Amino acid sequence: MSQSTADIADLIARTALRDRAAFRDLYQRTSAKLFGVTLRILRDRAEAEEALQEVYVKIWQRADRYAVGGYSPISWLVAVARNHALDTLRARRPVAEDIDVAMEVADIAPDPEEAAVGSGERARIDACLAELEGDKAEAVRGAYLDGFSYDELAARHNVPLNTMRTWLRRSLLKLRECLTA
Amino acid sequence: MSVEGEQSGSGDGDRVLVAEFALGLLDASEHEQVGRRIVVEPTLGRELTMWRLRLSALDREFVEVPAPAGVLGRVEARLFPPSAATTPAGFWNSLRLWRGLAAAGLALAVIAFGVNLAPRAPLTGPELVAALEAEGSNVKLIAFYDQTAGTIRIAALSGDAVPNKDFELWAIEGKNAPISMGVISVNAKANVNMPATVKQGFGAGTVLAVTLEQKGGSPTGAPQGPIVAAGAATAI
Repeated sequence: MSQSTADIADLIARTALRDRAAFRDLYQRTSAKLFGVTLRILRDRAEAEEALQEVYVKIWQRADRYAVGGYSPISWLVAVARNHALDTLRARRPVAEDIDVAMEVADIAPDPEEAAVGSGERARIDACLAELEGDKAEAVRGAYLDGFSYDELAARHNVPLNTMRTWLRRSLLKLRECLTA
Repeated sequence: MSVEGEQSGSGDGDRVLVAEFALGLLDASEHEQVGRRIVVEPTLGRELTMWRLRLSALDREFVEVPAPAGVLGRVEARLFPPSAATTPAGFWNSLRLWRGLAAAGLALAVIAFGVNLAPRAPLTGPELVAALEAEGSNVKLIAFYDQTAGTIRIAALSGDAVPNKDFELWAIEGKNAPISMGVISVNAKANVNMPATVKQGFGAGTVLAVTLEQKGGSPTGAPQGPIVAAGAATAI
């Protein structure tokens, strides 16, 4: 674990103990990264700023759950920001019924096998994405990094919606096979 | 939406669904449905953890952008209000209202009661009592939680009825909104049935409060009048 990773893990742990100074420090060290996340997904400065505020409220409230998921500390913070931004996007899109768009699934502790997967091996995603055809790897990245929906992906890649769905679903299974090989 | 049919089996169908869930590709109602399944199906939970962790290697591609000034200040203002009250602020503000009323000359006559808490069937859990009172008010009550019967026995120590007004009893658990337990009389003993919502979370620390409301109790389901007595349940 690098020095800065250890520092951030420590700041999250102290935030969980209701240490306000540690929380402020955590904000100073990580807010640029998380603003990068909310801005990239929401594509609107005012909304991204509003989201960032909500994200740090959640981080304060949930810091005690950090260790559970097996994330690196910065990835845990990114996940809080990304999930919040995606909830905001989903709420924007038309829905048929009244549902809880902010429904969240808590992190689940990885099993020993998954926990033993080192960060180097996790970086295998690059190699596995490279095994997909270029367009398809781009679509997976677009969904993860930009929060693109199937509609948006279909429009960007100039294919009918159903084609995009079929494509991407097949690609996800291939990707899974490579990642867990 | 049906992934099954296009794929070789429902195992693959579920794997794709969890991958779509992790990427955020599902629309709101699908996202909710799949989320509910993941919570109760451990296989899907493990699958989600795998995707979350593997995909998180892409996080380094999010480019840092300095956050606008003022966000931290607003976060802190929300999380650490100057006088952090443990109960809903609006509710306790009505205490001031009550003091105002009291100062205006609404005096309640004192009626003393002997409270007999002695002969009781043995209980399994700790016994809970609350003494209810408030500064500026003469209304004083003792509440005793009868676990066996699922009721709260109220004995008024002092206070008197107010013309055209009723006293209403509330339970406040943690930061939740007060839950009404109905209108009570302050000059008689009473057994109050506890709504299931109250019984569920009732324990040491639950606050019982009495407010002065219009005849028949608050029409909105939330306290409107001043608090005349309040106290937290304590184990004895």
